Amino acid sequence: MIARPPLHPARADRPLRARALVAFLGAVLLAVGFAPLARAQETPYFVAYSHHLEEPGNLEIETYSIYGTQQGHGDFIAPWMELEYGVTAWWTTEFYIDSQATFGDSTVFTGTRWENRFRPLMHEHWINPVLYVEFENTTDADKTLKEVVGFDDQLDAAEPNSVANQSHTHEIETKLILSSDYKGWNFSENFISEKNLGHEPWEFGYALGISRPLRLAATPRPCNFCRENFILGAEAYGGLGTTDLLALSGTSHYVAPIAAWQMPSGVTLSVSPGFGLTDVSHRFLLRWGMSYEIGGFGRKLRSLF
Amino acid sequence: MRFALILGFLLASVAAAFGATHRWETDSRGVLLVIAEAPVKTHSWKNPYEGQPDAALAGEKLFRQHCAECHGDDATGLGHAANLRAPSVQNATPGELAWFLRNGNLPRGMPPWAGIPEQRRWQIITYLKTLGRPTH
Repeated sequence: MIARPPLHPARADRPLRARALVAFLGAVLLAVGFAPLARAQETPYFVAYSHHLEEPGNLEIETYSIYGTQQGHGDFIAPWMELEYGVTAWWTTEFYIDSQATFGDSTVFTGTRWENRFRPLMHEHWINPVLYVEFENTTDADKTLKEVVGFDDQLDAAEPNSVANQSHTHEIETKLILSSDYKGWNFSENFISEKNLGHEPWEFGYALGISRPLRLAATPRPCNFCRENFILGAEAYGGLGTTDLLALSGTSHYVAPIAAWQMPSGVTLSVSPGFGLTDVSHRFLLRWGMSYEIGGFGRKLRSLF
Repeated sequence: MRFALILGFLLASVAAAFGATHRWETDSRGVLLVIAEAPVKTHSWKNPYEGQPDAALAGEKLFRQHCAECHGDDATGLGHAANLRAPSVQNATPGELAWFLRNGNLPRGMPPWAGIPEQRRWQIITYLKTLGRPTH
């Protein structure tokens, strides 16, 4: 019988929780390593949502950034990361980590968000609803602009990080997502309502999206650069006031063309220049990002335990 | 935080309850009921790519991108996913398969594939139909 060597003192002292965390992360990496790559059928929007959810058991790791011009303060880049998981065929959950860096100021972590989307109807229809609920735990320094609601003003983002990052906000955001597919086109309409859990009124907004692959039928052989892998589209989004004043005056609105490249490897690259349409909008936004779909992640992870 | 945990637990329970039944009942033709529930009008739908080798190749490529993670590379099914070579799938009409592919079966975990263009769904069906042929 071979005697097991004693643990290194530093290793033996390592708290059980830390070792469990290391084991869990190792299992996750193993699951990622052995999981097949997959391609999602999701639309390429940055702000709008379609009714297409994450396939059950798949994990999509996404990293996005937005560059925005800013009056009265430095321009900014706000990167965020998303972990999107298909719990069932009718429920997708997603966790966000937000941050931002303002030129001439600082780089800060700005909070987390937890989002859930549900399909209430079991079949496809001309218009397909999805219910969306999100809990946000962010600070006023958050500049990801994942949604524009109420009377959001670009000057809101002009506050120095040292001040804005001290103000924590807990918000509930709900959306009614309506979406249709017709002859390769996707049309999505989102109606947004957001409530700061402090004593503030409900804020409303909208997001619209349209997109289509450059080629509808697939080619017989795998290819990176064929037209079927490219999707073009556009989205528009903006605020619609609050329960105190439902109005368009004084609200921000944007329009943004989108291009996405879905590679057979499971990686999707997306880019979207956005243009502010009103005086209170940021004049120019540029979003870009990469997502990576891991097929059968849940099944592989379960098989490890 | 406590609210989020309770909500997460409730949702997981509902999801588990929905996913708990995975019996595969068939109709008189031996076709899975979840496919055979397609409207009668789908029986007359024609596959525009039927018998086209290039479409079957494209369908195989799409199958590997979208379907193989659940149904396996050989399409015999992993876990609760159906064996697509079995008569219970192969006996279905192309129209029934097209309807099923578009709508999925959410309670049983089959996602709807309406997000990929109709042409690609027909290409996948063209490939699926080749799996039922005897091999020599």
